[in-house]
Amino acid sequence: MVLRLTKPASLSESIIWVTLGAFIVFVLLPTFYLISYVFLRWNEVWFEVFANPIIGDENWKQILKVLFFSFRLSLSTVAFDLLFGIPLAYVLARKRFRGKSLLEDVVTLPLVIPTSGFGFATLITWTTVAGIGGLIGLRSGLIPLNSVVPFINVPFILFIVHVALTFPYIVRTVETKFQSIDITFEIASRTLGASPLTTFRNILSPLAIPGIFSGSVLAFARSLGETGATLIVSGVSSTASIAIVRWTSEFKLATASFMGSLLVIIAWVIILPVELYMGRKARAFSFSYQLPTSVTKRLMTLERFASRRLTRIKDFVPLIVVAVTVIVPIVVVLNSVILYWTADPYTGKVQGGVLYQLFGPSNYFASVLQATLTSMIVALTSTYAATCIAIPLAFIIERRWYGDFIRTILKVPLIIPTSSLGLSVLLLWGSSGLNLVRSGIWLIILTHIVFSVPVIVESIVPAYEGSEIQMYEDSARTLGATAYDAIETVSLPLIKGGVLTGFILSFTRSLGETGATFIVMGRDVTVPALVVNMVEALAIPAALFTSTYLIALSLVLLGIIRIITRR
Amino acid sequence: MPLIRLANVSKRFGEITALDHIDLSIEDGEYVCVLGPTGAGKTTLLRTIAGLLEPDEGEIYIEGRLVNKVPPEERSAVYMFQQFALFPHMNVWDNVSFGPFIKNWENDKVERVTSEILDMVRLGGRRDALPSELSGGMQQRVALARGIASGARILLLDEPLGALDARLRVELRSQLRRLVKDQRLTAVHVTHDQEEALMIADRVVVLRNGMIEQIGPPHTVYSKPQSIFVASFVGGANFIEGNLAKVEDSGSLIEVRGGLQIRVSGRGGTIGERVVVAVRLEDVSVGSGEAVGSNNLSGRIESATFIGGSIEYTIRLENDIVLTSKILLSDAFKAYKTGERVVVSFLPDRCYLFPYPKIGLPKEIEAI
Repeated sequence: MVLRLTKPASLSESIIWVTLGAFIVFVLLPTFYLISYVFLRWNEVWFEVFANPIIGDENWKQILKVLFFSFRLSLSTVAFDLLFGIPLAYVLARKRFRGKSLLEDVVTLPLVIPTSGFGFATLITWTTVAGIGGLIGLRSGLIPLNSVVPFINVPFILFIVHVALTFPYIVRTVETKFQSIDITFEIASRTLGASPLTTFRNILSPLAIPGIFSGSVLAFARSLGETGATLIVSGVSSTASIAIVRWTSEFKLATASFMGSLLVIIAWVIILPVELYMGRKARAFSFSYQLPTSVTKRLMTLERFASRRLTRIKDFVPLIVVAVTVIVPIVVVLNSVILYWTADPYTGKVQGGVLYQLFGPSNYFASVLQATLTSMIVALTSTYAATCIAIPLAFIIERRWYGDFIRTILKVPLIIPTSSLGLSVLLLWGSSGLNLVRSGIWLIILTHIVFSVPVIVESIVPAYEGSEIQMYEDSARTLGATAYDAIETVSLPLIKGGVLTGFILSFTRSLGETGATFIVMGRDVTVPALVVNMVEALAIPAALFTSTYLIALSLVLLGIIRIITRR
Repeated sequence: MPLIRLANVSKRFGEITALDHIDLSIEDGEYVCVLGPTGAGKTTLLRTIAGLLEPDEGEIYIEGRLVNKVPPEERSAVYMFQQFALFPHMNVWDNVSFGPFIKNWENDKVERVTSEILDMVRLGGRRDALPSELSGGMQQRVALARGIASGARILLLDEPLGALDARLRVELRSQLRRLVKDQRLTAVHVTHDQEEALMIADRVVVLRNGMIEQIGPPHTVYSKPQSIFVASFVGGANFIEGNLAKVEDSGSLIEVRGGLQIRVSGRGGTIGERVVVAVRLEDVSVGSGEAVGSNNLSGRIESATFIGGSIEYTIRLENDIVLTSKILLSDAFKAYKTGERVVVSFLPDRCYLFPYPKIGLPKEIEAI
């Protein structure tokens, strides 16, 4: 049992109240307002969704249809992720090889790349002549836009985008879990005569179950809530999160908010049991299943055989998944920008070239510049404000008895669909709620603060817990520092790395966010939203350029994170 | 007036009572070691003095002032962690000057004090080094220098030698004591190493389950243990169960298993009462010949273990009691072999007499 021996150094009470107040106003309320909105306006919701005088419960049927489609997509995505993600996580956790950190970066890339840009890259790669199809000499895309994956019956392009965007959650979570499991267990099992696969099944996987579980939850939630890339590649099919965007733009606010609340509640229902389970870390996971001895024996023989034959396959297939879903689209989109730079390479028309679209009559370059400015202002302001809330909040989480509770609540903005979040913020601050802020840059900032606070807190907390802050602070106190001095001279410098990482992660996320921004932006378009607009306006070369520009921007930021975290 | 005084101090963590009505006075300039097994409440005691914990009951006085509500930074008692807690983002100089700096002393005073103390601990040349670049021994010296530089009068040392390797630990004991004495500081040093406590302290406080078992100079604690626990934890001993058979002017007769009698110089208790006799390992001598007279018992050597300068025999007596004897090699007349018949003997005035513990003898010693 660990006793918390020291009384928490007294944070000034007023700081605590201000922080908690900011947390409630800027994070908690926007996250949950949607649900209360549905309750408050239940009559409206009832008439629009269930008892419309003209179309009856057609909207409800739509909601159900869209929800089931989303679930089918998300579940199959997670299943695919697990199949290939766990072996990759094992390789990353246990093997040392050249280019390992590069591989880790590539796996993490989809977390950093703005999703609309990435979605567009994937779309180009698979379904158009500018992509692989053209590269291998076809006059069309490699895969028709509407072709579906067998068995699960979801569009291929949607599936591949969701795999790419959720894969990092499984790989990195499980990898971290594997790393935390002492390798001596495996060595012991091997020296006792078990083959690698038997060891994996009997020793490693039961111990890693919590990590696999929480990774799956994150991946599932991410897939359920993905908006940016999905908007671009979805074609005629509609997921729950983009249905919210569409309905909001059609002013079917009651339907949209009902759907949004359903998603928020689903996210809660998924995350809460996991959080409660993870809270009791001390309890060993008992994962006992008893197979008949004869089956076990046959299984072990099979595993012994497979361990010898499958090593290469298990190492390389996941790499192919990463290459196909992440690297290929990025390379293709770069290549396309070059191909389309001056003119459409197939028709030879200058109007189909990047340069013409950027600087020609439609003058997209001005839009790109304007959007960059908006994006930068939004990212800087929201990240800065979020950092100011997140630092004291992290201290409160670590030192107050209700800290765990706050931390659990903070998980919600991270996993609820961003379009629900955007809608919630719009309803809260906008004309139908407090009527304080209109659609536009300020509302975008308020929206981004909601998910930036948890992102930053989640990077500060591990830095805090990993560095025995309490001991250093106690030391400083007995050396004569007041509680405030101790925090300023000792604790803050010690968590500086975590704050910086959180700042950049949040900045990157703000830069790439599409779903929520699309709902609240009004006329102030950010760069990722601009990509969506361009695609909708069929200005493909301009979209190509802007996507490349976005990806490049986020790669630079990723590089900076690397440099900071390596220190 | 004592420098530090604890009156009836208690501290609980949920179900666990870490400190149970502690009364303790520490004089100015004294070096006190708090000795006890893991979980005895040593660290809690130290933290309550430092002000990092507030007691649930009782009062703490420093220089006669009630400090229960005084924050740690105003107690002039510096707490030194086992891991030294050198601030990892500051170099040696910044670490050592932290106290003077944070207390806003004049710049040249900060400079002077810091460099003086760094020279004193022979680290003047490493002022720009980061803690991670120093060896364990150096880190310990920096931590001490930092404490002294802060102007504290009281050093609270939580296992200060615990993070060092065995040889260095022994070497640094006397250095630590000398430094504290030279600087006229008062030290409260927590350890579970009885040898360290006996060697370094002016007074030893034996703590167990949050209660003080015994306080006294090292020699007294060792030679006059007040309880079975102290005898066992400080120095170790053989424990023989028996019944009080007879009380005389010169001592008592204890009847032990197999009808044998042991004579001890201690007295007290009622006839027939269950008692425990404790004999230090080095007070049990081994010889050959016949067992004649009191406290001469015959048995066979069960094992002989060579430990550096001494040899330890375990001897099974005829009544099946097993005793351990520790004999300095220089005092050993001959080496006995396993299975050899021997006579063990010990002097009555080297035996300690205790009433049989309520929780049973094995449990009483087990806590160690």
